[in-house]
Amino acid sequence: MVIHVAPKELKNDFWKSKDIKISFGEIIYDGEDSEEKESELEMGPTPKPNVTDLRSWDMKLLDRYEPFYAPFCDMCCLCTYGKCDLTDGKKGACGIDIKAQQARIVLLACCIGAAAHSAHARHLLEHLIEKKGEDFPIDLGMNIEIEAPIIRTVVGIIPKNLGDLREAMDYMEEQNLHLLSACHTGQEGSNIDFESKALHAGLMDNLGKEIGDISQIVALNLPKGDEDAPLVELGMGTIDREKPVVLCIGHNVSSGAGIIDYVENNALEDNMEVCGICCAAIDISRYNQHAKVVGPISKQLKFIRSGVADVIVVDEQCIRTDVVEEAQKNQAKLIATTDKSCMGLPDMTNEDPDKIVSQLVNNQIEGALILDPDKVGEVATKVALKISKDRKKLKILPEMDEIQEMASECTECGWCTRVCPNSLPMMGAILEAGKGDFSKMEELNDNDICYSCGRCEQECERDLPIMSMMARIGENKIKEQKFNIRAGRGPIQDVEIRRVGAPIVLGDIPGVIAFVGCTNYPDGASDVARMAEEFLERNYIVVTSGCGAMSIGEYRDEDGKTLYEKYSGDFDAKGLVNVGSCVSNAHIPGACIKIANIFAKKPLEGNFEEIADYILNRVGACGVAWGAYSQKAAAIATGINRWGIPVVLGPHGTKYRRLFLGRTDLDEKWKINDMRNVTVVQGEPAPEHLLYAAENREEATVAVAKLCLRPNDTSKGRQLKLNHYIDIHRKYFGTIPEDVYKYIRVEKDIPITYKKDIKAILDERGWAPKKIISEPSIRDFKGQSSPENFKNKSHPKADAK
Amino acid sequence: MYERIIPWQPTAIAGPKQALLVTPKTAKMMIKRAKRPLFVVGPIIKEDPLLKLTIDIANKWNIPIVTTGDAYKTLRDRDTNSNPYGIVEITNLLKDPEWKGVNGEGQHDLVMFIGCIYYIASQGLSTLKHFAPHLKTLTICKFFHSNADASFPNMKDEEWLNYLEKMKIA
Ligand code: SF4
Ligand code: SF4
Ligand code: SF4
Repeated sequence: MVIHVAPKELKNDFWKSKDIKISFGEIIYDGEDSEEKESELEMGPTPKPNVTDLRSWDMKLLDRYEPFYAPFCDMCCLCTYGKCDLTDGKKGACGIDIKAQQARIVLLACCIGAAAHSAHARHLLEHLIEKKGEDFPIDLGMNIEIEAPIIRTVVGIIPKNLGDLREAMDYMEEQNLHLLSACHTGQEGSNIDFESKALHAGLMDNLGKEIGDISQIVALNLPKGDEDAPLVELGMGTIDREKPVVLCIGHNVSSGAGIIDYVENNALEDNMEVCGICCAAIDISRYNQHAKVVGPISKQLKFIRSGVADVIVVDEQCIRTDVVEEAQKNQAKLIATTDKSCMGLPDMTNEDPDKIVSQLVNNQIEGALILDPDKVGEVATKVALKISKDRKKLKILPEMDEIQEMASECTECGWCTRVCPNSLPMMGAILEAGKGDFSKMEELNDNDICYSCGRCEQECERDLPIMSMMARIGENKIKEQKFNIRAGRGPIQDVEIRRVGAPIVLGDIPGVIAFVGCTNYPDGASDVARMAEEFLERNYIVVTSGCGAMSIGEYRDEDGKTLYEKYSGDFDAKGLVNVGSCVSNAHIPGACIKIANIFAKKPLEGNFEEIADYILNRVGACGVAWGAYSQKAAAIATGINRWGIPVVLGPHGTKYRRLFLGRTDLDEKWKINDMRNVTVVQGEPAPEHLLYAAENREEATVAVAKLCLRPNDTSKGRQLKLNHYIDIHRKYFGTIPEDVYKYIRVEKDIPITYKKDIKAILDERGWAPKKIISEPSIRDFKGQSSPENFKNKSHPKADAK
Repeated sequence: MYERIIPWQPTAIAGPKQALLVTPKTAKMMIKRAKRPLFVVGPIIKEDPLLKLTIDIANKWNIPIVTTGDAYKTLRDRDTNSNPYGIVEITNLLKDPEWKGVNGEGQHDLVMFIGCIYYIASQGLSTLKHFAPHLKTLTICKFFHSNADASFPNMKDEEWLNYLEKMKIA
């Protein structure tokens, strides 16, 4: 049973024009504690917003944080008029200009990302409904009443059981379809409107992820906001290579869960290893802590090449699309398990499991597509048990002397380095290896500085198997590759929000930093862990998910501890909270939404704009997607942005083509409404940017500290936040930042440690105290008509003048 | 020759518009002609002889410096003053014809780059190529940047250092 807070057919204009409260009598709750309750819920103005319903909010964001474009390609080849050259102000044959074209590609990326998360969510939802029934309750335990903050706010419903999630899913799918259609030739013509749609796609992505994670948490009994979720083993060195090994790659837990169930039901836990790479690893280890996490996506090719896995089970997203070929190289057996990635394999879903096992073992098929997770469990396990012994005898990787011999054939053409996404000095490393010194190759292997994309190998004019050489060199230190990660806990508890809501909003906790996303790091995985460590030491709350969470686990501090061992999993100052996989990212904006609701009593249902405005101006949260590479990551960041949360990307993030940058030199951009006094006042550039890309870790760390400033900080909170900003700036830049004067509103804001220096800066700048804004907002004053929003430079009409 | 004038990372190629290949002689001509040049120095420049050459070039031509990444500290440790900006921030300002420049004297008309990470520099140069027709970009890294207006070719270290030495003399 779903609680509708507004009748569906009366939505939109009717609800927007009237401030209506609906009283529900007789809501019967299912389950043990069935009772009659009366609930009064207020429906906000935008339940199930259509593509244009939040456009006026987007225009406000985009006016302050104007899109910055860095075209990755000057041409367009989407239709047969093309290719069209869009340089020097030229337009395509359809009339599109370079800005709109970039924005269109961003929208496309966000639609793809949102679709990937949400199709995954739909698959999980239907699979779990089939297993558990539509009426299976959404129960996240005693401490979580606001079970689905995004669904509540965006869709305007309170889902009570799995079946209810379908309504949110239907809505999301419909919106994504409209958004995708806008990418067709001859549809949208304004870059700003493309951006508004991209923000909507990002929001739909957030929604899809929430549906996916809630479904799996409740139906598969994953940790429910448990701050003490167990530590699970992480690292290539944790896998017992003597045992049969099944490796899961991808994101969808169903087939992994099928394998674990089969292994447990047949009491085979001690006889084999089930492990994973990428989010599949995180989610199977949430399902069962005996499953092991090999590591993030950067380990994929290395680990496959190492030959340790007897059976490779791929589900969806971020799997190597040449995995069939790679598996064959070392006689591993491949099972594809979802409609998204069939890999050209024969569909064996309806075959007898033993027949599939025999065909795989006897090489009659090059792999199997099995769309039934339980059958995957049986087949994968049986195959691994059958072939493991013989496979262990195979010689898969070259010996060190062979590596030296091969390396000595290098012609110094230099192309391995030129084609490397990070221009890594592979040629130099190979040359040294040719002389018997492997240390440079080892360095590239450590911390996944080389993330085994394989581009160098295919370019090599001597056909050196660089990836296999790297995999073998990595084996030398395999015993050190033993770490851990706290199992993904899912949502933040309401009680935790009650505890930290005030300190976060008032600034006593300097910020909530979320390290999310993939491993397209500019300089190895340890940068992420070092950033996390820096903020943990400074009392920030650090949240993480997906590959970022694994990268953090692969690092040990000076005392040899992982950060998960050192810091608790509490959502509190100095807490390191692994929420889970990619879909669990939903709990990060979810926590911010809960702060608005639990701490500030803002109603959620259908109330997107008020909640986002609250977060933008009051909740000092900042996302970091240091190695973001995928379209999903584009959607995640864009969705987070629409809630008013800034995100810092690594340098590769500029290849997404678009950032949202503020202009601190233009005062008019930072005018802000004081809702209490109904006046427009001069605000401060906080947060300074909405989507930023930093060139290196040092720059990013400073930027993150600054991006936690909010107009609503109390003086005490501001002092604390500035103190960290200045400290970090001094550490990496050697000085007190010049722009600190912009963030001192009154003398009380000045951090005591830096009083003298800051006063000197203030004097030099002719600083005068400003009033602290009591209720900062970028929303319109009540009763003001929204067309005001469109009188801004970003609007297409303004552009045309 | 071909290998010298395709982008250092070959896939950075964006379209038909390509940078002009320049030697130190032409590069210096561009600086001489510029009214308000700017020198953007990235974090790859960490040690001598590159660091010294970079500072010498800035001093020789008396060009204000913007540092990106954490290069501000590197230069400061050598008593060289600069204006720290993120590479995306400075690019964003440079594309606005109304921006007053680092010294408040007006938008720059030539921006010379050295030491930024190749691919992020390539993206920044793309922004300027498309949206900053009011200025010219020049890169003096050892990599050919097709998104610049003018670029040194792909070179080995020795040849590059030689090029930079030449940039120090008028
Ligand atoms: S969609 Fe437009 S810009 Fe792209 S190829 Fe077709 S006509 Fe050219
Ligand atoms: S595998 Fe990829 S990241 Fe590693 S050196 Fe080769 S090209 Fe670079
Ligand atoms: S591509 Fe191959 S031959 Fe060329 S430098 Fe690299 S390792 Fe040597």
